[in-house]
Amino acid sequence: MCKKPIILFFFIIPQCLWSQVGFVKDTLFAYGDSVVVTATRSERKLSNSTVPITLINAQTIQQTGSIRLTDILKEQTGLTMTSGFGAGVQLQGLNPDYTIILINGEPLVGRTAGVLDLNRIALVNIKKIEIVKGPSSSLYGSEAMAGVINIITDASVQIPLAASLRYGTYNTKDINLNNALASKTINYQGFYNYYTTDGYSIRPNSNNRITTPITRLTSSQQFKLNLNAHANILLNARLTDENIKSNIAVSNGGVTINSNGNEHNTDANLSATLNYHFTANLKTSFRSYLTNYISKQDLLTLSGAPYNDLLNHLFKRIENQSDWALSKKLNSIFGVGAVWEGVKSSRYDSDKIRKENTIQYGFTQWEWTASDKLIIIGGIRFDKNATYASAWSPKLSMLYKLNQYHKIRLSIGQGFKAPDFRQLYLDFTNAAAGNYSVFGSAQAQKVIGQLNSLGQIGGLYNNYYLLKALQPESSTGIHLSWEYTPLATTFLSAQVFRNDITNLIEVQQVGTYISGAQIFSYLNIGRAFTEGAELEFKQSLSNRIVLSGGYQYLITGDKDQIAQIKAGTVYTRNANNMSARLTMSDYVGLPNVSKHKAQLKINYSNEHGFFANARIIYRSKWVVNNTNGNEVYDNGDDFAPSYYSLHTAIGKEYQNGIAIQLGADNINNYIDAIHLPNLAGRTYFINLKYQIKYKPLK
Amino acid sequence: MIKQLLKMSFVVFAILQITACSKSETITAPVLTVSTNIVKDLMADTVLGLTSNGMPYSAGKYTFFSLENNAVVANTDSATAKWDLAFMSTRILTNGGTSGPALGGAFIYTGLFDDLKTIPADSIFKTDNAPTYAITTGSGKGWYTYDQLTSLITPLAGRVLVIRTASGKYAKLEITSYYKGGVTLPVSASDAEKLTKQRYYSFRYSYQSNGSKVF
Repeated sequence: MCKKPIILFFFIIPQCLWSQVGFVKDTLFAYGDSVVVTATRSERKLSNSTVPITLINAQTIQQTGSIRLTDILKEQTGLTMTSGFGAGVQLQGLNPDYTIILINGEPLVGRTAGVLDLNRIALVNIKKIEIVKGPSSSLYGSEAMAGVINIITDASVQIPLAASLRYGTYNTKDINLNNALASKTINYQGFYNYYTTDGYSIRPNSNNRITTPITRLTSSQQFKLNLNAHANILLNARLTDENIKSNIAVSNGGVTINSNGNEHNTDANLSATLNYHFTANLKTSFRSYLTNYISKQDLLTLSGAPYNDLLNHLFKRIENQSDWALSKKLNSIFGVGAVWEGVKSSRYDSDKIRKENTIQYGFTQWEWTASDKLIIIGGIRFDKNATYASAWSPKLSMLYKLNQYHKIRLSIGQGFKAPDFRQLYLDFTNAAAGNYSVFGSAQAQKVIGQLNSLGQIGGLYNNYYLLKALQPESSTGIHLSWEYTPLATTFLSAQVFRNDITNLIEVQQVGTYISGAQIFSYLNIGRAFTEGAELEFKQSLSNRIVLSGGYQYLITGDKDQIAQIKAGTVYTRNANNMSARLTMSDYVGLPNVSKHKAQLKINYSNEHGFFANARIIYRSKWVVNNTNGNEVYDNGDDFAPSYYSLHTAIGKEYQNGIAIQLGADNINNYIDAIHLPNLAGRTYFINLKYQIKYKPLK
Repeated sequence: MIKQLLKMSFVVFAILQITACSKSETITAPVLTVSTNIVKDLMADTVLGLTSNGMPYSAGKYTFFSLENNAVVANTDSATAKWDLAFMSTRILTNGGTSGPALGGAFIYTGLFDDLKTIPADSIFKTDNAPTYAITTGSGKGWYTYDQLTSLITPLAGRVLVIRTASGKYAKLEITSYYKGGVTLPVSASDAEKLTKQRYYSFRYSYQSNGSKVF
C-alpha cells in the first residue's frame, strides 16, 4: 500500500494492447461520431482521426459480460492474450512489454518479466477503451512501441447509485457499488469492486491450480472541481489490492519442487490535473501523477525452505501540455514533463536500495487541415534518460477522404522501449531450478568479475566481453488503412502494417560457473520484423441484428536468423531424425505468434431492453518450444494447436433500473492446460444489477 | 554390501541390455574400408531411481564403446586402448589425454554428416583435459542444448563429432537422440518419463579403417 497520507488512487495498469483497425466498430450504428483522445493527445472526432483507432464502448463491455480487462481485449481483432506471468496482450506480434497501458492517460506500472497482468484491471465505471496500434502512438514515450491501450473512466455523474452482483462457475463472485454526486462546483464519482474466485485446476488428478484462489478489491474515487468558467481540477484515486494463494511447481531435470504460500499485490494510483482555458483557441493542463505497485510473495517449499520475492515500483510524473489553435487549419500541441521512478526488488543485489531512473521529455505535434479531404499530423518527442541513451520518436500521419464512402489513412513513425530495471539490475540465482544466474547488464561485468576473483567462474563467453550500456529498443512502423462505408448499415476496413525492430534486448548466456550452471545477461542484439494485414466488417442485418467480425494475418521473423538460414548455416532434423539444412519454407518466425486470428460476433437487441449475443474466437497454431536441435523456430518444433472458443450472453434491462444477465464462456469447453492456462473450461455466470435512474442535479 | 552387489548386478544387467539393444547394419560404402553403423538406445548411466529427498541417482559409471567393433566394451577395460568413446549422461570421453591411455581425440564439425567427405587438413583434434573435454560439454557448446523450461536435452542439428579413435584412425558420428526409443520426448511428457527415459544415445557413425581422413 502507498504509505503516503493520501487517498489512494487507483489506476490500474493493464498491459499491452494495441489498436488496430480503425473501425468505427462500436459507434457505427448507434452512437454517431465518437470523440477519441488517445491518438493525438487531444479530442478529435473519430471520423477525423488520422490513425486507426479501435474503440470499445461501455455497452460492448457490459453486453459481453466482461469484468476484467482481459475479457474484452481477447475479443478484439488481432489482439492475442499471453499467459506467462499473468495475462498480457500481444499486439501485432509484439510481446506485452511493448504496449503501454494507460488509465485516463496515466501509465500503469508493475510488470513481471515485462508483463503487466491485465486481470488486475476491473472493468467498472469505464466509459470506453481506446486502442492505438503501431508507431502513431509514439508521443507516449517508452513502452508505446507496439501500441497504447487507454482506459477512459466515466465522469458523467449520470447515475447516483448502482449496485451489481455476479456469481459464476468456480465460486466466482464479483460485487460492484457505484455512486455519483454532483453540484455546481463539485462532481464526484466512485466505485468499489470486490472479486473473488476459488480458481480451478484443469490438469486431471492434480491439486496444482492453474488459476489460483484470488481475492481482489478495487476502489476508485474521482473528483472534478469546477473553479470558474476557465478552470477545473480533476482528482483521481484508485487502489487495487489482491491476495493470491499460490501453489507453484518448478521443474528442473525432471525434479519438481512444489511451493505453497501467499502473494499480495497492491497497485495505488493518484493523479491531479489542472485544466485552464485561456481562450477558445488556447488551453493548458498541468498533470501530476504518482503510482506505486508492490508485490510480495511468501512461499514455503515442500522441503521447508522459505522463498520470498518483493517488487516495489514507484513512479512519479509531472507534465504540462498546451493546445494552441493557430487558425482553423492549424492546431498545435506542446508538452514537457519529467519522470522519476525507482524499483526495489529482492531479485536485485539488495531489496533495501531503490534503483532509480529519471527522464525529462518534451514533445510537439502539428495538425494541418489542408482541406475538407486531407488532414496531416506530424509530431516528435524527445526523451532524455539518466540511465540509458536518449531517444527521439517522430511520427507522421495523414487522413485522406476520397469521398463520403472511402477513407485512406497512412501513418509512419518510430517508437522505443527503454531497457527496464530488470534488464539493468537483475541479480537473480534460481536455487529452485539448477542454480543458474541472471545479472542485469549494468552490473553483470562487475558481479561476474568479483565471482571470477573468488574462483567461481568456469568460463566466460564472447558475449561477456560484448556487455555494455544497453540502448533502447526501437521500432519503425508503417500502417496503411482503407475504410469503406457504402451504406449506413455496412462498414468495411482493411489495413496493412509492417514494423521493423532493432536493438532488441535479449537474454544471452555470458558464462558458466565452475559447477557448469549457466550465467546470463542482457544484450542489444536482435533485429526482427512483424507484418500483416487486418480486415474488419460490420453489417446490420435488420435494425435489431448486427453481424461483425475481424481477421488478422501476421508474419514475423528474426532478421539475423533469416540471414543465417539463407546462408545455409542453420540445420534441422528431417523425418528420419537426421540433420538437414533448414529452408525458408520451414521457417516459422517469432514464438507464440499465430499466423491467423479471427473473431465473429452476432448481436441482437430490441427496444424492450433485451439483448443476446454469440461470439466465436479463433486462433491458429503457434510455435512454443525449440525441440529439434537448432536455435530457430521451424516446422519441426513444438506447436500449440489451433483452437476456437464460443461465448454467449443474454440479458434484459427493465424500466425500473433492474437488469439481469446470463452468460456462458468457452461453451465448447476447449482446454489446453499447458499452452492456455488462462482459458478455463466451460463457465457460466449470472449478473444482477440495480441502478437509480434519475439524473443528479447539475 | 548387499546394496553394492545389487548395484553391480544392475550395471551388469544394464550392459547386457545395451548389447542386446544395440543393432547395427552395414550400408554400402563408397570406399570399402568405410563402415557406417546405426546404434540405438546406448545406455549412458541411466537414472536408477529417486532418493528420499527427490534427487535422481544413477550408478555413476561410463559406458565404453568401440567404434571399430561397433560394440560395448567392458568397464574393466577402461584403462586399455580397446574403447574409442565413453558415455556418461551428456559427457562423452575420447580415449586419450586425461581420459585414457590411447591416441583418441575429437572436434566438433558444423555441417551435415553426408557433406563431410574428407576431414579438412587444417583440422585440430582436441584431447580430453579434465574438466574440459574434446567433445565440449554444456548446453549449446558441444553436441546438445538443454532447455530449462522443458527439461529436455536435444542434440543440435548439423553437428558432426569427428573422432580420432584409440588406434589413431578416424570416424564421423552424428548423435540423433538422447532418449529411449531414438526420438526426443515431446515437451508434454511427464517428469518421470523425462527422468527415466533419458541417457539413451542413438547415433550413426562412419568408421574409416584404413587410417585415411576420407569417408
